[in-house]
Amino acid sequence: MDKPILKLHDVWKIYKMGEVDVPALKGVSVEIEQGDFVVIIGASGSGKSTMMNLIGCLDLPSKGTIHLKGQDITHLSESDLATLRGETIGFIFQQYNLIPSITAFDNIMLPLEFLEMSEHKAKERVKKILEIVGLSDKSHHLPTQLSGGQQQRVSIARSLAADPEIILADEPTGALDSVTGRQILDMLQKLWKEEGKTIIMVTHDLNLAKYACTRIELKDGQIIRHSRCKK
Amino acid sequence: MKFKKSFKHAANMVLHAKLRSWLTILGIVIGVAAVIAIVSLGDSLQADINSQLGNLGGDLLTLSAGRSRAFGFGPGREDLGGGASATEDEIVIDKTDVQVLKGLSDVKLLDTQIRGSADIYYVAEKGTVTVSGVDPATWAQITTSEIGDGRMLGPADSNVIVVGGRIADGFFDKQLGVNQLVTIEERLFRIVGILDDSSSTVYMPINIAYEVLDDKEKGVYDSVVIKVKDEDELDQAIENIENKLSLKRHVTQATRDFSISSNKQSNEARAEMMSSMTTFLTAIAAVALLVGAVGIANTMFTSVLEKTKEIGIMKAIGARNNDILTIFLLNAALIGFIGGLLGIVFGILLSAFMPVLMGSTGGIMARMGSGSGIIRLSTAFMALGISVLIGVISGVIPAYQASRLRPVDALRYE
Repeated sequence: MDKPILKLHDVWKIYKMGEVDVPALKGVSVEIEQGDFVVIIGASGSGKSTMMNLIGCLDLPSKGTIHLKGQDITHLSESDLATLRGETIGFIFQQYNLIPSITAFDNIMLPLEFLEMSEHKAKERVKKILEIVGLSDKSHHLPTQLSGGQQQRVSIARSLAADPEIILADEPTGALDSVTGRQILDMLQKLWKEEGKTIIMVTHDLNLAKYACTRIELKDGQIIRHSRCKK
Repeated sequence: MKFKKSFKHAANMVLHAKLRSWLTILGIVIGVAAVIAIVSLGDSLQADINSQLGNLGGDLLTLSAGRSRAFGFGPGREDLGGGASATEDEIVIDKTDVQVLKGLSDVKLLDTQIRGSADIYYVAEKGTVTVSGVDPATWAQITTSEIGDGRMLGPADSNVIVVGGRIADGFFDKQLGVNQLVTIEERLFRIVGILDDSSSTVYMPINIAYEVLDDKEKGVYDSVVIKVKDEDELDQAIENIENKLSLKRHVTQATRDFSISSNKQSNEARAEMMSSMTTFLTAIAAVALLVGAVGIANTMFTSVLEKTKEIGIMKAIGARNNDILTIFLLNAALIGFIGGLLGIVFGILLSAFMPVLMGSTGGIMARMGSGSGIIRLSTAFMALGISVLIGVISGVIPAYQASRLRPVDALRYE
């Protein structure tokens, strides 16, 4: 835990609602260290979703700069941004967001296809990840044939496929029961501790904060509390 | 994303929107099938006409009395009273005209003909046939009919006839053969030849025909078939004949009382008419294809809407704009391709059944269908190419729209 992998400097995000400008983030500055487990907590409307979109390079700030691995993403072309996203960030969504028409195996392979990895290598990689998340026997099931917990594990597997440095989890347990939710969180902790991934989890649930090391609390588009990880 | 992978995802999209995809494909199928059927019909028609032109006396002219209808819609013979040769006589072609024709260097052979209908008896049956009196010395060399059985008429023939194929087979209960005897207007005739066609005309020497068809005046002809020396100089020959006959008959261009038609010209006129009809029908079929294209565009727009969230997911996990564009374009092209392929199959079936469908309407349509429905390979490939192109063109705007979706908006879309 030394150099910042992600650096937000005076980031503003302003949405235009007709004539009115609605700021969602008001000058947020934060640094996220490599190998940290960060939780971003906030109630709905606090700007945490906006922040997640910006961290995930899904959206660009209205003002301010975002550096990902030393690169200013606000100046990247769309296709460079997409590739950077594919290589660096793995997404885990609340609603799993798997492609329903293809099998679990193909879903996990998708990020590798966008990175144009060779077929053979990609397949080996997917098999290995399926073992990690314990779904080797479900690889040829469609998402609809899997339970919520299994789908979320496929989603985690997909986020790991391209071996990204950052795993960005948006309410990963939001749609799961508490037992399954625990399993998913354990898995994230394992990835953090054993694989050395940087985990960024966005949630409104204060109970999940204890799994993380660094806590960032958002309210009305500003960081109100930032407790750094002390290892 | 590699092309192979993009193709896989595009194909997957077609497969997972089964009903919608098939309905869209159906639109293209109908358009392509219509175009294929019509184009192949036009082709076989052209081939039909060409084959007729090839062996059907391109070097033949037919001279007949009266103004050619081709000169206009005005009345024919009636308004000729004030002409230079104004007489009370009926306007006819007679021996003197034939003498003029014989003196022309362009003319190779002449066949003087009269036509009429007469009753024919065989055993106890009676029927009515067209009797054609022809010059037995030249007919065999001029006619485009071919002999199926027996022989043609010869110069020395008198009480013998050559009959059309239908008279021999199907006209009477019993089949007629060479050397059998039939009675026409109380005269006994021996059949010496049966033509290889399906006409019900009886051909006999013109001298006998004058006696059989008693309303015909001897030395007056209904028509004269002229074989010219050089087919390539047909137009020149027509002009020479017209000039010479006009002089002899004391008529001018305006008062001309005879007409010369050429097989070649009438065939060409028919070919032209057929080709413009084919063009017209093809245009209608093209409209069907256009409607199909609109259908693809519509399906693609729906598909983009429906897949907005998936597009967002794909972008989040590393899809570039071009990847999305390629997948959606390939999807549209694939719909066009499948539609084109099925359209060709249905088009071939349709053109094969066209003769059957059109057989009963007779006339030109029956002729159109008489050639077998042959699809040229080039037509098929072109149709396939065009339908893929249509797919791509219809897919461009929706695919572009899909590729430009912002990942954050697309992900939020429900």
